[in-house]
Amino acid sequence: MADNFNKLSMKGFLDNLKGRSARLAAGSPTPPPATDTSREIARALHPGVQYATVSSVADLPDGAKAYELVPDKIRGTEAFAFAPAGKYLTVFAEINGMTVTRPYSIASSPADSCRNKYMIAIKPVEGGFVSNYIIDTWKEGTAVKISDPTGNFDYQPLRDAQKVIGIAGGSGITPFLSFANAIADGDEDFELTLLYGSRNEKAELFREELDALAEKTEKFRIVHVYSDDDVPESDGYEKGFVTADLIKKYAPEGEPYSLFICGPQAMYNFVDEEIKKLDLPRKYVRHELFGEPHNASSIRNYPEGDFPATVCITVHIQDKTYSVTGNINDTIMQSIEKSGIAVPARCRSGECGFCHSIVLAGKYWIPENLDFRRLADEPFGGVHPCVTFPLSDIEIDVPAAK
Amino acid sequence: MLKYGVVVIGAGNGGLAAAAVCARAGLKTLLLERHNIPGGSATSFVRGRYEFETSLHELVGDAPDGTPGPVMANMEEMGAKVRWVMEKSTYRLVVPAAENEDGFINEDGVRVKIDARMPAGLKAFARKLDELVPGSYDSCIRAFEIGTTMYDLFNYLETVEKPSLSYIAKNIPGLALIARIGSHTVKEVLDSIGMPPKAQGIFTTYWGYMGVPASKFDFLYYMCMMYYYVANGAAMPKLRSHEMSLAMDRAIRDAGGDIWYNSEVTKVLMKDGKPNAVVINGEKTVYADHFICNGFPNFVYSDLFEKNDIDKKFYSMANARSISCSLTTVYLGLNITREQLGMHDYSIFIAPDEDSDKQYQAALGGFGSGFIVMNCLNTAIPDCTPEGTCQLFLTTLTYGDVMRGVSPRDYRKYKNEVARDMIETCEKALGVSIMPYIEEIEIALPPTFSRYLNTPLGTPYGYMLDMWDSMLPRRFNYEKEQPFDNFLFVGASQERGDGYGSAYYSGMKAAGETIKKIREGK
Repeated sequence: MADNFNKLSMKGFLDNLKGRSARLAAGSPTPPPATDTSREIARALHPGVQYATVSSVADLPDGAKAYELVPDKIRGTEAFAFAPAGKYLTVFAEINGMTVTRPYSIASSPADSCRNKYMIAIKPVEGGFVSNYIIDTWKEGTAVKISDPTGNFDYQPLRDAQKVIGIAGGSGITPFLSFANAIADGDEDFELTLLYGSRNEKAELFREELDALAEKTEKFRIVHVYSDDDVPESDGYEKGFVTADLIKKYAPEGEPYSLFICGPQAMYNFVDEEIKKLDLPRKYVRHELFGEPHNASSIRNYPEGDFPATVCITVHIQDKTYSVTGNINDTIMQSIEKSGIAVPARCRSGECGFCHSIVLAGKYWIPENLDFRRLADEPFGGVHPCVTFPLSDIEIDVPAAK
Repeated sequence: MLKYGVVVIGAGNGGLAAAAVCARAGLKTLLLERHNIPGGSATSFVRGRYEFETSLHELVGDAPDGTPGPVMANMEEMGAKVRWVMEKSTYRLVVPAAENEDGFINEDGVRVKIDARMPAGLKAFARKLDELVPGSYDSCIRAFEIGTTMYDLFNYLETVEKPSLSYIAKNIPGLALIARIGSHTVKEVLDSIGMPPKAQGIFTTYWGYMGVPASKFDFLYYMCMMYYYVANGAAMPKLRSHEMSLAMDRAIRDAGGDIWYNSEVTKVLMKDGKPNAVVINGEKTVYADHFICNGFPNFVYSDLFEKNDIDKKFYSMANARSISCSLTTVYLGLNITREQLGMHDYSIFIAPDEDSDKQYQAALGGFGSGFIVMNCLNTAIPDCTPEGTCQLFLTTLTYGDVMRGVSPRDYRKYKNEVARDMIETCEKALGVSIMPYIEEIEIALPPTFSRYLNTPLGTPYGYMLDMWDSMLPRRFNYEKEQPFDNFLFVGASQERGDGYGSAYYSGMKAAGETIKKIREGK
């Protein structure tokens, strides 16, 4: 090929400049489209917050209650965001002048969310604050504020085995009810064997619904596991706790399976030790949120040292600065909330990163199993206040609550 | 009343740079961000025991003489301290052979048409190209020679207020060359210097970084990018892009600037025909003399302004331009090492054909184009994941409205189908097995980018850098194309389009203009 570089036109550039100006001027003088399909999907799935009304309340065993929610159109929520199975909602509550939040797994099905219904189930907790407040005060017609469906406890066919053993304890049954319904409806495609641990038959939540779903689809099977000593031996259920042996009994042979675990912290502590015996690759073991940490000094690996019992937490939020007294056994988030200051929060387990804040000065400690910070957070003081305990006076910049 | 000298809307790379420069110049600066962390595209996220790089493929590394690459230098200049990792390679291009095509079996046991593993260093690159396509050495060196003049051009364009073509032609002899190539596409210039078509294909592999193929992209800009990457190799922040963004956050605070997160500008208030305040989260009003906006003009006009606030010519401008490509990225945390996986490269471009225009045509057809960039961060940063694991990210590009007809309920299934196809394409092209080792996976389709970047069709790339709307004409018209003299746009929608360096540059430039106006009392 001949080198004809010198024949490239210099004049073309000037023409280009003029041509471009003309072309820009010829565009439609009306405002450009304010949205597109991609933006609409993003908005439909992640509206940020949603406003809802309690449409019905149902009593469940042991004082637990199920709340059905519908969109509150008057406050601007026309329709609910689609909720894939396994997601949770964060509930915002105003209690005695405090704005607090709690995550609750969605118990209703993905199909229900398309019909503008969510259901959450809440169990009374001894000494519990938000759960007990909700149980005491929510009734038909109560207006509530919730987040969009969020979380990572979902079935992912490219990652998880086709066969799943679910392990549920207490109110940890709720996401599995959603999974079972999703399987029956065709929104999810995997086989779920659920080991559901309770004290006894009477303490089980959604027993009838779960048994009916197991009748409806072969892809869902439920195994009731009762821990009370005085439960008689029977073929209809298992006695004791969910152990490695029990998992093996129901696990498929010669093919991979995933374990999905959701329950109270005490159950995680027990079951995790059992799971170690199974020597499964980590990819096949998935946990729902661990839950909020309390009483720092009682947590494993709490640092040795002479720390003050109370600390001063200086909080910057936008143009406001607050001074808060915190107990070192409370997380930074708990101390700020107790002072009546709203903070951004979703999972309250260190995982979602929504409360990401920047510590400008001071020492702090984060339990290792709840430390989901990004690597660069450490050198720059990035923390998740929901799992961060102060060890000294702290100055922290917190994003606005939303 | 809350009053600032400058309010910067959006803490993407452009906004961060603008705020850093303004704050360091002593202006009372407020940076507002709707999300809870800085960076926009420049961030990371954690799943299980993996932290994924969100968007960065590579920055330009330091030169053989130790001079830092442009972004590295920019960050230093803005007071942001980042630890860098250098990766002295460029890319590998793999074009699998179709059944009826000639090919050879490569070391992975895959029948390929092209397998080009290109080194860093101008001469080494040219020698490799010549080995793959005999007779291409001279044209490759010639292209790089033209590329060296880009340093001068960039210096000139960055330092002058109003660039003048006649000044260039008369006073800067090397730059007359620029005027000559300034209106020509990559393909036209490479043809003119006699680069064989197959070599052109390998040479233009980076087109995907800008979204415009060789026949539509201006040579000048492509060579700027290509020259730097080949001469210097790549650089990455040691701790993902989040490190860069937090370093900028720190630099802004250290310089006395304020940053408010979860603080979305929901309205711009006007006075005497110009912006004079912003409303945040619908509740708090902040006044300022100057505004720098990291939002995308199309949506900023509709979301923040009243219809009559904006001169119609800016609507015309927004409507006349094309929205560039959208990206889809699959993030994979694998429970085997990269060696076990058989990954020896950092960046691998997998393409259905070596010709960038054919790749572009395939991408116009939507998902399943077979054009995928695969990165294995462990090649550059071995300890970026725990022992015994590695992370990959796979990126493809699409144009236009590929989400039409996908309902929110079907969206997850659709995402998984797209991801499955991308993973299988990579497995086949590279002769590796990925699927059984997936411990964590996230899939970002255009709606994910819409959610986090708030751009039309979720594009991270701004307006298409088509020949008619390329960098130089944008540069020559910069001032005329800002909607108000106290409201300047920054980010990928501006002069240099997408890329970290482009966005930082846009922010630094807008900050410079703003500082100048304030000092001149305008």
